[in-house]
Amino acid sequence: MLALLKLIQSIFSTLNSEGTPGQVAAGIALGACLGLTPLVNVHNLVVFALIFVLNVSFGGGMLGWAVFTPIGFLLDPLFDRLGMALLDSAALRSLWTAWYNTPVLPYTNFNNSVVLGSVVAWLLLVIPIFFGARSAVTVYRERWGARVMESKWYKSVTASKAYNVYRWFRPE
Amino acid sequence: MSMRIFRWKAIAPLILVLLLLAAAWMIFADTFIRHSAEDQGTLTLGTEVDIATLTTHLSSSAVVLGGLEIADPFDSTKNLVEAGRIELQLEAVPLLEKKIVIDRMVLGGMRFGTRRRRVAHPVKGPSAARTILQETRDWAKQFDVPLLHLTPIETLKSLVLNPGQLQTVKAAEALTATADSARQAFETDLKDVHVEPIADSAAALGSRLKGATPQSLGLQGAREAIAAIQRTLDQIKQTRDQVNGLERSFGAGVGVLGQGLTALDDARLKDYAFARGLLKLPSFDAPDIGTALFGKASIDPFQQALYYAQLAEKYIPPGLQPWRQSGPRRLRMAGTTVRFPKEREYPTFLLRQGSLDFSIGHDSGGSSFAATVSGLTNQPALYGRPARLQAKGRIGGASPMSVQVAGVLDHLGKISRDSVQASVTGVPIPSFDLPGLPFGLTPGHGDVGFNFAMNGDRLNGRWSVHAAQATFTADSARIPQLSLIENTVWRVLSGIHSLDLSAGLSGTIREPRLSIQSNIDEEIAARLKAIAGEELAKGEARARAAVDKLVDEKVAPVKARVAQVQADITQRIAAEKARLDDAQRQLEAQLKTLAGPAGGLLNLPKIRLP
Repeated sequence: MLALLKLIQSIFSTLNSEGTPGQVAAGIALGACLGLTPLVNVHNLVVFALIFVLNVSFGGGMLGWAVFTPIGFLLDPLFDRLGMALLDSAALRSLWTAWYNTPVLPYTNFNNSVVLGSVVAWLLLVIPIFFGARSAVTVYRERWGARVMESKWYKSVTASKAYNVYRWFRPE
Repeated sequence: MSMRIFRWKAIAPLILVLLLLAAAWMIFADTFIRHSAEDQGTLTLGTEVDIATLTTHLSSSAVVLGGLEIADPFDSTKNLVEAGRIELQLEAVPLLEKKIVIDRMVLGGMRFGTRRRRVAHPVKGPSAARTILQETRDWAKQFDVPLLHLTPIETLKSLVLNPGQLQTVKAAEALTATADSARQAFETDLKDVHVEPIADSAAALGSRLKGATPQSLGLQGAREAIAAIQRTLDQIKQTRDQVNGLERSFGAGVGVLGQGLTALDDARLKDYAFARGLLKLPSFDAPDIGTALFGKASIDPFQQALYYAQLAEKYIPPGLQPWRQSGPRRLRMAGTTVRFPKEREYPTFLLRQGSLDFSIGHDSGGSSFAATVSGLTNQPALYGRPARLQAKGRIGGASPMSVQVAGVLDHLGKISRDSVQASVTGVPIPSFDLPGLPFGLTPGHGDVGFNFAMNGDRLNGRWSVHAAQATFTADSARIPQLSLIENTVWRVLSGIHSLDLSAGLSGTIREPRLSIQSNIDEEIAARLKAIAGEELAKGEARARAAVDKLVDEKVAPVKARVAQVQADITQRIAAEKARLDDAQRQLEAQLKTLAGPAGGLLNLPKIRLP
């Protein structure tokens, strides 16, 4: 319940006031990786660390994760095909063979069709997601942001103690 | 105002999170690895694998497992193998490449065929091993030999056959339809050849030119008449070619009808067997008796060997091609995981050397046993040597056993060669019931030999049992109710005190052959034939008569119809050819008349007579 509350808080805080639209969009673009690709993989640990360390919106990251998780499930068959096509590619065979026999790299599960396909798809989509999200956040703040911030509901959510924990990771 | 890229105050929480993750790993790693090993083992072997404890020793790259239980895939109430303690000494460097290279493995407290505390769970989800298990079970079903029915044939039941059950009747109906369609097709094709118009046209031309001479026709008239004759002769030739073609094609069709008649005779033999089966007449041939008595018991060891050989085929592919397998089970789609082997690198799994310490049953000492496994890998092309298993020793106790096992998994070449040879002396052989009979066999202690080799898809195996003190048992309550035949069999069995059984497997996986011999087949066969031979002959005669009665009334008209069609086609073709021959002879005579005296003058073109 606390996690859910935090998520809701972070989403609305993110959309309303925290950071520039660019910071929020960068968080969403990174969070999209957590949603689009199978979660328990080494690359997601790196992405998670980046969301922590980089001066991007943490809430944006959580929002991206939440939004893109169902999309990831839906697109799994597509990722599987894309990944399989790449793994089967004769031109890339030597690259995969070298990676497969390099220490640590096999733990990234790059040789799994869904992992590879989804990571490649995210890499292809990360720029469009960034610009799309930035435009959407800008439009939101111009048209509805002020009204949402004045609402009682928003004020009660942001007054929660859990919100204070979340504030540690607000963009500066 | 410049924006900072890094959020420095988040570094501490991040490090805290990473530390927490590391601590969680240290606390739960053993449990996580144990569950992963259980899942992977279950998925790979197609049967439940349980590990009671697992401890990793990072400093020495060692893993110690306790209480390993692998359920028997063919009997979920038993364990195939149990190991009290397994020590694995791993190489550290390959672990960085997600590869498991075991330098040394020591298995202790091994037991085989023990009863499980609970029934093993079936493997959930898609599993190659489960598919192979099902395929192997289906493969074994082809050896589901008929039971040795010892119906009291002195009271044979009456036989009522339905024509629809008989293959001969069905074949006769099909042959009738074939004959009719052949006749119809012949008529149509013959009509298309237009023999009659050509013959009539030739006859008309012959009539018109009858008595004509070059002098009566004049030079021009003679030339035109000769040209007309030549045209007609060409048409006759073409028509004859077509008739010859018809003769060839329908000659083949007539041959097919003849084969159909032969097939009727074959079908009748099958119907005899079917009717015989309805009467449940027993087969008293020695090979049939051996197969009926020991077929199921004999195929079981071959079935199990084939299952493990095919598992090895699946998980130990030859060559260095990328190898696909299903991805890990997770909420998201599993996908496909591809392995990319490379020469002079470690295989993904390698057991360099393993030593096994066996204990079977309640070992009270006096055992001396050594077993080793070497070169067991899932990528033999990288390791370059076949996997070998050697076991030899003596197991003490109240009834000491001596065991010798040798096995090779050679997947280096394109065709894999797997083989195992085992011999055990003094082993307690479990009792079993003779299928379809109220008798059982208690072999006691005996010697068992087993050889199995799979070379590509070729199979070669032998299973032999020698029990010097075997006893056959009967249900005492049923003995007074035994039929004459059962009683005879029982008299034979109760006088036999040893068992020598030999089962051979040969052929290919798709077309295997199983042959079984035992010391009791011939004796039972001879005694049964002596007692029941006359009754058996009567039963067979009754089965044949019942089939003949139904089949003859169907087959006789079909044979007549086929003969009629064959004769009609032959006669029609001969008649049409004769008709064309007559027309040709008549025209050639006229041509000679017209061209003969004036041949030089008319400068006729060369006529090619057919």
